Amino acid sequence: MTTRDLALSALFAAIIIVLGLVPPVTLGFIPVPITMQSMGVMLAGTIIGAKRGALAYIIFVALVAVGLPVLSGGRGGLAVLMGPTGGYIFGWIVAAFVSGFLAERLVREGASEWRQLGGFFLSSVLGGIVVLYAIGMPWVTLAAGTPFSAVAWGSLAFIPGDLLKAAVAAIAARSVLAGYPLLPQRA
Amino acid sequence: MLTSLYVEGRGPLHRVTAGTKLAGLAIAGVVLFFVTQLWLLAVFLFLAALAYLTAGLSIREALRRIAPTLWSLLFLLAVNLFLLPMQDAAVLGLRILALVFAAAAVTATTPLAEMMAVVDRVARPLEKLNLLRPGDAGLTFGLCLRFVPDILSRYEALREAHRARGLKVRVLTLLGPLIILTLKQADEVASAIDARGLRGASKPFPSSERHSS
Repeated sequence: MTTRDLALSALFAAIIIVLGLVPPVTLGFIPVPITMQSMGVMLAGTIIGAKRGALAYIIFVALVAVGLPVLSGGRGGLAVLMGPTGGYIFGWIVAAFVSGFLAERLVREGASEWRQLGGFFLSSVLGGIVVLYAIGMPWVTLAAGTPFSAVAWGSLAFIPGDLLKAAVAAIAARSVLAGYPLLPQRA
Repeated sequence: MLTSLYVEGRGPLHRVTAGTKLAGLAIAGVVLFFVTQLWLLAVFLFLAALAYLTAGLSIREALRRIAPTLWSLLFLLAVNLFLLPMQDAAVLGLRILALVFAAAAVTATTPLAEMMAVVDRVARPLEKLNLLRPGDAGLTFGLCLRFVPDILSRYEALREAHRARGLKVRVLTLLGPLIILTLKQADEVASAIDARGLRGASKPFPSSERHSS
């Protein structure tokens, strides 16, 4: 890891913290405000790449563990990690890596805008939803004992919102790629 | 803005070292999964709750801190009551509640500096493997926390810029500029660090030299 990789990861982790500190913002076309921090995992991988995105989340999760209230709503500490949804928080590290790994391969710098958007959206969905739930849901079952099928059915309620976030993350990732491309220079 | 969840105090848990508490928590996490006696789990829960609630917080503040976790937990336990035999649901509920309280107690009684020292110790094997240079862990955490206020004021500036132009504050018009400006700054910070040679040496020192220091 070069100094640049470390600085990019550290400041991206700082962005994720800030997105949890600010009040929820509306998307524009739907009136419901969303907490922007939950999009961070899709943004990290698709904007700074697999390894740096995962490192940003390693830093972030370590800050949760040492007891800083960096999660949205001022949450933090070991209790969140030990709780039933701790798997989603640890899962962010893997999810950011997978989103980045896919984006590095699916998105070409010279490609058309729509192809890039499609690539970013697919990476965000597979990394930030499929992989994340694949880690988070079994953890709920393991920690709270709720049968897996019940957890899976209950989680379906979050999928529409997550798909919307993936679309927003894809547009943001594309605008960063156009304005300040970091993804093509892999760590 | 980012104050640690640690609470000053002189209770018994405050005097135990961070490493011991974290190891204890990890062991409890594993051991409790093999305990199925209700009374034993109830004792564990009582002790963990006692440890957390006597850590120096008011009961109200103590519960507020773990409220989101407790709510999601209560919801899952209510679901369990429908789907599982009463006995199983009770065992599962007591077990995870005990762990959540114990974890909250460790967080409330361990100062940030001691926690960071543990993180540093965890990072040391990575330095030996040459994946990290000595001091990298501290440098990265320091950079991250140092720039949170900067990024927050950049966010406020972007919001003001929206207002000045009569635009509504929207996720999409905010995220792009915020991220691009911050990542540009990261590049400047990185070259400043390299130009001043602030980062540790890349190759580890010869072992003899290392021991003598």
